[in-house]
Amino acid sequence: MGHGKSPYLRYPEKEPFPISNRNSHYDHLFEEMYELEEKGEILVFRITEEYKPVEVFTRTGRIKLIPTNKLWHHKSCGQCGNIPGYPASIFWFMNKLGLDYLNEPHQTSCTAWNYHGSGTSNPVALAAVWLRNMHQAWKTGYYPLIHCGTSFGSYKETREQLIFNKELRDAVKPILKKLGRLTEDGRIVIPQEIVHYSEWVHAVRFQIKELYEKEGKPKGIDVSNVRVAIHNACHTYKMIADDYPYDPEVYNGQRPAASTAVMKALGAQVVDYSTWYDCCGFGFRHILTEREFTRSFAIQRKLKVISEEVKADVLITHDTGCTTTFEKNQWIGKAHGMYHPIAVMSDVMFAALACGAHPFKIVQLYWNCSNYEPLLEKMGITNWKELRKEWEDTVKYIAELEKQGKYDELMEFFKEYDLYEPYSKTSDGFKRRKSATADMPLFKS
Amino acid sequence: MDGHPYGYNIPISEKTKEVPWEEKVRIFEEIKSDFRFKEYLFGCLNCGVCTASCPSNRFFDFSPREIVQRFLEEDVEVIYDMMHEYIWACSQCFTCWIRCPFVNNPGGLVIIMREVAVRNAFEATKDLLKPYGRVLLKVMTTGNQLSADMLQPDFFPDWGPKMQDNMENLRAKRMAIPFDVGKAVKTAWEVSLETAIEMYTIWRETGIFEMLEKLDPNLYNVIMDIVEENEERWEELMEEEEE
Repeated sequence: MGHGKSPYLRYPEKEPFPISNRNSHYDHLFEEMYELEEKGEILVFRITEEYKPVEVFTRTGRIKLIPTNKLWHHKSCGQCGNIPGYPASIFWFMNKLGLDYLNEPHQTSCTAWNYHGSGTSNPVALAAVWLRNMHQAWKTGYYPLIHCGTSFGSYKETREQLIFNKELRDAVKPILKKLGRLTEDGRIVIPQEIVHYSEWVHAVRFQIKELYEKEGKPKGIDVSNVRVAIHNACHTYKMIADDYPYDPEVYNGQRPAASTAVMKALGAQVVDYSTWYDCCGFGFRHILTEREFTRSFAIQRKLKVISEEVKADVLITHDTGCTTTFEKNQWIGKAHGMYHPIAVMSDVMFAALACGAHPFKIVQLYWNCSNYEPLLEKMGITNWKELRKEWEDTVKYIAELEKQGKYDELMEFFKEYDLYEPYSKTSDGFKRRKSATADMPLFKS
Repeated sequence: MDGHPYGYNIPISEKTKEVPWEEKVRIFEEIKSDFRFKEYLFGCLNCGVCTASCPSNRFFDFSPREIVQRFLEEDVEVIYDMMHEYIWACSQCFTCWIRCPFVNNPGGLVIIMREVAVRNAFEATKDLLKPYGRVLLKVMTTGNQLSADMLQPDFFPDWGPKMQDNMENLRAKRMAIPFDVGKAVKTAWEVSLETAIEMYTIWRETGIFEMLEKLDPNLYNVIMDIVEENEERWEELMEEEEE
């Protein structure tokens, strides 16, 4: 059913679940966005059929389109820098599902982690960074998929500010013009929907389930006995709360659906705990410079509660900061007799393991400080020690080749490397690029 | 005035008392003039649901309800006092925002206050952000806020012995990451030079470099050295391409 004249604002005929907030201010955004497009001020980067959209509902019942194909990966600095198996698992699934995507170096972070932590930015700079990245995606024809929860939350908020405030548009437009980041006729490019990777996982969860049946189970993997606790990230569902999926099958639409729904689709045992609503304690600045707060909150309000109330095997997350906070702040609890070990990983990493991805080459669990080993055993990945040895040998081999300066052999090795080649596609092809840092990422020049 | 009729139970600090009233009013007005202010503050029942669900409230003397109330009361003195350290306790989770029956956004008010504190180079802000310099250096020069080489075990002994293992053979481990642009060590992913150059333009045009200069002149100088070096490299590359 249409809702006003904007094609970007749609509701179903029947409410999909009980809705307590029917008059969302957020609806006006989609009406205003359409009007600005009609006036020629902005260009809406539309989700057309080539992106194979799937419909989900937000908490107000609005239909949100989630593109599932031909995606431009807006990576997360915390994930790539600290949890590389997180994005690797996303790419692995996209390869497995035969989807088209683009993963390229012409992207900055959203810079919002820094802003929330230090205040050293402003709305104009945040908007310029966001629109510059969106323009790059639009230029390539690939639809932006936002990996980080804070980027997602910040971009949703920035879009709202931009649509409703002419002064912000007027301030950011000259900067984009200087960067060559307007359309040829001088319009700002704004995506129809801002889409988080967890929404994508949610949208393709039944394909993931099929993959689990087809490839995970034959390897002896079984998640039906795994007790899974879910932590929803604040910046996905508390920031601009009316723009994140809810589903009748997840607590009758009364809690965020992403992550929980894919766990249910895989047949894992989702367990509930009393502090599900609390944040992780990341705090942006706190994780680095007020760590007593972060670890105290993470342990006392989440890890201890999950351990005592539901004895979960794994805590599933869908954001960078939460994953880091929970997996890095367990060991220190030993100092105060508050050690509550539990495996911590994102929904997509767990799903990749269930579908048979290599725990170290793909899911990169080596970087994880939590106790993931008992979880692997329980999932039926009993050969994890051999798989870990295999990965460690790979690292040693790479280190040795580099030490000897055998770069040609390294290049050959990477050509053979498991699933390496499909990840290399970028908008400028396979040519060597000039990096912003002195170290070339792959080889010394 | 030391005491407050309700709520804010922290005595007004000496550093606030010393500041002329006009200056406190100026700061108050600067916060209120932000275009977001009217979108973040509507009214308040004093129900306290924001503070009850606030993670920072559990461990710090911090209350989002207080912030909302002080703005509604136009309590210039307390708001100025909050600008020193109080506002930096907020976790920026926005639980207060989703729970407020008035849809107030206390976390949003805090971010405006932080921005004003940075822009006006409050001494407490300079001190609080000193340990944060590595992140600022990284994000301003590369466009990434975090990279693998920042997580040195010496800085994070509380993260346990597995952190030690992670950092051994770091470069080789990064090379073993199975996607191309993720193999970088000094950045989270490989950020192309032209992308970084665009970002420097954004920082210049939006006053971020000036903001940093007032906050930490030494850090600013280090950042500008890298920025200028990269800009020179870029110009050389452009010239080479033209030739």
